[in-house]
Amino acid sequence: MSGAFDSGPIATLAFFLASALTIVSAIIVVTQRDLVRAVVALAMSFVGVAAIYFIFNAEFIGVVQLLVYVGAISILIAFAVMFIGDLANAGTLSQNRMISAVAGVLLLASVIFVAYNTEWTSIEEVTDADAVAGLAGTYEVSGTSGENNLISAVDGDAEGARGGALVDSSSHIGPALISDFILPFETLGLLLIAALLGALLVIRNRQEDDAA
Amino acid sequence: MTLEIVLVVAGALFSIGLFGVLARRNIIAVIMSLELMFNGVLVAAIGFSRFTAPAALMDTSGGITEAAVRSALTGHMFAVFVISIAAAETALALALVFAFYRAQQSVEITDASAMKN
Repeated sequence: MSGAFDSGPIATLAFFLASALTIVSAIIVVTQRDLVRAVVALAMSFVGVAAIYFIFNAEFIGVVQLLVYVGAISILIAFAVMFIGDLANAGTLSQNRMISAVAGVLLLASVIFVAYNTEWTSIEEVTDADAVAGLAGTYEVSGTSGENNLISAVDGDAEGARGGALVDSSSHIGPALISDFILPFETLGLLLIAALLGALLVIRNRQEDDAA
Repeated sequence: MTLEIVLVVAGALFSIGLFGVLARRNIIAVIMSLELMFNGVLVAAIGFSRFTAPAALMDTSGGITEAAVRSALTGHMFAVFVISIAAAETALALALVFAFYRAQQSVEITDASAMKN
């Protein structure tokens, strides 16, 4: 059993299309002189990244990407661009653009070097029947180990199967947030409150507030 | 579609963002490039989550638990937290840009040098 997208040729083609959309839009973002067009390209790039998440069986992250990045951050930046009308030389690049380009190319070259010279493990190396069933979602709870539920494959003939990507990742994110990641999760709420209050405090107009 | 290709795409996105952060003069354009860098990191995180095997699923001596299956989600959790923090950061950064614009009538990054020297 596998998800809607596994490593088939259609998924590969979709991945390359989404990657091309993302990279081309990103290049437009950093080179376009008109900032409004740059914001539109930025939103396109975010959509491409969301498509990559969907192809990787990360449906929840893909939806969050569409809601938060495409829906909120792009709009926020577009609002900022239009609110601050001082766009006379908005798109100009600074004089150290050659150094910047060299830094970017060197970083990309080092990433490619490390990516192709490291022995990565593969999810397909998971061969334990229960583990494969856990990834595929075809398991049942068979006991407890400490605080955790032990699981086992429903149909025991999955012996020799190979692991695939985690299917139905969305249903695992909620339990993970309130068990393994409860402290960071609560801290995140505190951070969002602090950021909200901080943004309001920074942007408030003291003269108008005192006069009122 | 292998992990290497995914890392190249993520690295390209990060490098393009780095170029924008270094080369752009408008603060809002710098923030946009910063968002590209965030997205590059997140593509790499989700790619690792999709393609690499969690250690908890390779070591099967004590049986497989639901927590071990959730360890295949580490990249997803990373993405959830980074997206939330990036959203808070962007809102705060744009508030600072507005405050700076009101004080200096400018959004050039080189004009933010009042505390220099």
